[in-house]
Amino acid sequence: MKTILTKPVASLRSRRVKPLVLFTITFHGFIAVLAPFLPLASTDAQDSGSLLQGPSLEHWLGTDSLGRDVFSRLLHGGRPSLLIAVAATLISAVAGIVIGSLSALAGGWLDDALSRLLDFLLALPTLILLLLISSFFGQDPFILSLALGLMYLAPIARVTRSTTQTLLARDFVRVARMQGAGNLAILRGEVLPNVGWVVFTEVTMQFTWILLAFSSLSFLGLGASPPTPEWGLMIAESRSYMTLNPILVISPILMLASLVLAIQALADHE
Amino acid sequence: MKNLARRIFFALATFFALAVFSFLGVDALPGDGCTALLGRFGTAQKVAECRKTNELDKPVLVRMGDWSLDLIKGDLGYSIKRDLPVADVIIPRLRNTAVMAVVAALIAFPAAVLVGVRLGRFPNSRLGRLTNQFSVIAMTLPEFVTATVLWLVLSIWIPIFPGVNVVPSNATIRELMPNVWLPALTLATVIFAHTMRTMRASVMSVKEMPFVESARLRGTKERVTVRRNIVPAAMPPVLSVIAIDGSWLLTGTFVTEAVFNYQGLGRLAIDAISDRDTALILPIILFGLAVYLVASLLADALVKIFDPRQVGAV
Repeated sequence: MKTILTKPVASLRSRRVKPLVLFTITFHGFIAVLAPFLPLASTDAQDSGSLLQGPSLEHWLGTDSLGRDVFSRLLHGGRPSLLIAVAATLISAVAGIVIGSLSALAGGWLDDALSRLLDFLLALPTLILLLLISSFFGQDPFILSLALGLMYLAPIARVTRSTTQTLLARDFVRVARMQGAGNLAILRGEVLPNVGWVVFTEVTMQFTWILLAFSSLSFLGLGASPPTPEWGLMIAESRSYMTLNPILVISPILMLASLVLAIQALADHE
Repeated sequence: MKNLARRIFFALATFFALAVFSFLGVDALPGDGCTALLGRFGTAQKVAECRKTNELDKPVLVRMGDWSLDLIKGDLGYSIKRDLPVADVIIPRLRNTAVMAVVAALIAFPAAVLVGVRLGRFPNSRLGRLTNQFSVIAMTLPEFVTATVLWLVLSIWIPIFPGVNVVPSNATIRELMPNVWLPALTLATVIFAHTMRTMRASVMSVKEMPFVESARLRGTKERVTVRRNIVPAAMPPVLSVIAIDGSWLLTGTFVTEAVFNYQGLGRLAIDAISDRDTALILPIILFGLAVYLVASLLADALVKIFDPRQVGAV
């Protein structure tokens, strides 16, 4: 038990997370939380006198086609996707861990049935279903988080299942069984504390995929709805003005890319 | 053999389950072909009449039965909204997506295999690490970002390709070609990264194996060892990635086609969803599903057929 528990902790300490990665994640965390409290221009105030302006003292990154302040919209633009991605990831992590560990502990027909269910979920055409849901039920953040959470739970469940299976064959679990622990006690006392690190990595990866799925949805006009500042939506809205003011497109791309790549670098073991 | 039959059975079962699920799901959405056609002007009476003439008033299970029987006969149904048989709408779009997929595959796969072998042999070269990092980025960023960057660079800053696509969906392939490049390059970037990384990892593990060492010790030239020993042994996992990515080229193109307004199947799916043309949505979902399931069967089979250690395991 000791080796399994200490290994991930030690590897977390020894894995020298690059300062750049840490800085980027902290930076994004700060602005996502603090954006509404910072002394920024309003995200919807339209300055019809200055459309598509380049950077100036008044508008640090210029203005978009409606004369809105790009800098302010950029700092607010990660919040909708992050909020939905956090909610959806919580759903998929909880459901995935429950299904995966249950599957491994129960075995037999329940394991078979749950594994088929996961195959089914993996075969679902995710994006088209999201488009359908969003188009027919309105762009409701609750429905979208739930749908995203359910669609992205399969990889988490699979990792939990295989990790649990290897754990169940270990001596300390056998000892616990011999001491008379039931399935539930084993799950709580032996399995869950130990699947942690591997599953955490998978959950982090799914978090980025969910974030990107929602951004893509916004880009297609069915995620965040205007005038909400959201990076995917900002890119879609400004594509026609790319020749006039490339900052409009490049800045949200840099924000989205830096956030996602930093999170993946944190999760990736390479 | 028994294993393969079992796999095919499960794939068919998954397809059937998802088909039923999709039919019921699409049916449960608020709105059908008649409300889509009549839009805001549809009085309750007009909608009811339209449903009667198009047999949409029958119970859902009866309609599902009729629809499946027609499907088996090769009839995909009728789009009331577009007043056209579904097949007539879908087939030209499918052709356009297929052209783009072929171009993307021809650009990406050979290059990915060649570069992957090279990087697998010399993973620590500076260029190697740079290419690898670029691939991680290409794999992670969503297509709309890759597409927008390629558009900005290759159409606006360096005007090589046309950025705005105004060619109709039934244009000849010759008329279509200039517009194929940018979307195909977008897709190629993603699948290049996947395939190259798999090839690289595979070569890195194979080149340490005893049979490669023994070929070296026999004094075989490095070039020959790579061609005869390393590449064939490293290929199986790469072939299965190629199968899966190939299926993605046909079914995962919504965003890319939307960016370039390319008149393919993905663009059609988005249009059908936004004007609620449910008759079109279902065949597109089922097509995607069928392609995915065939590709994943193929991916497993390829590994077993080409892996020397698993010969006969099919």
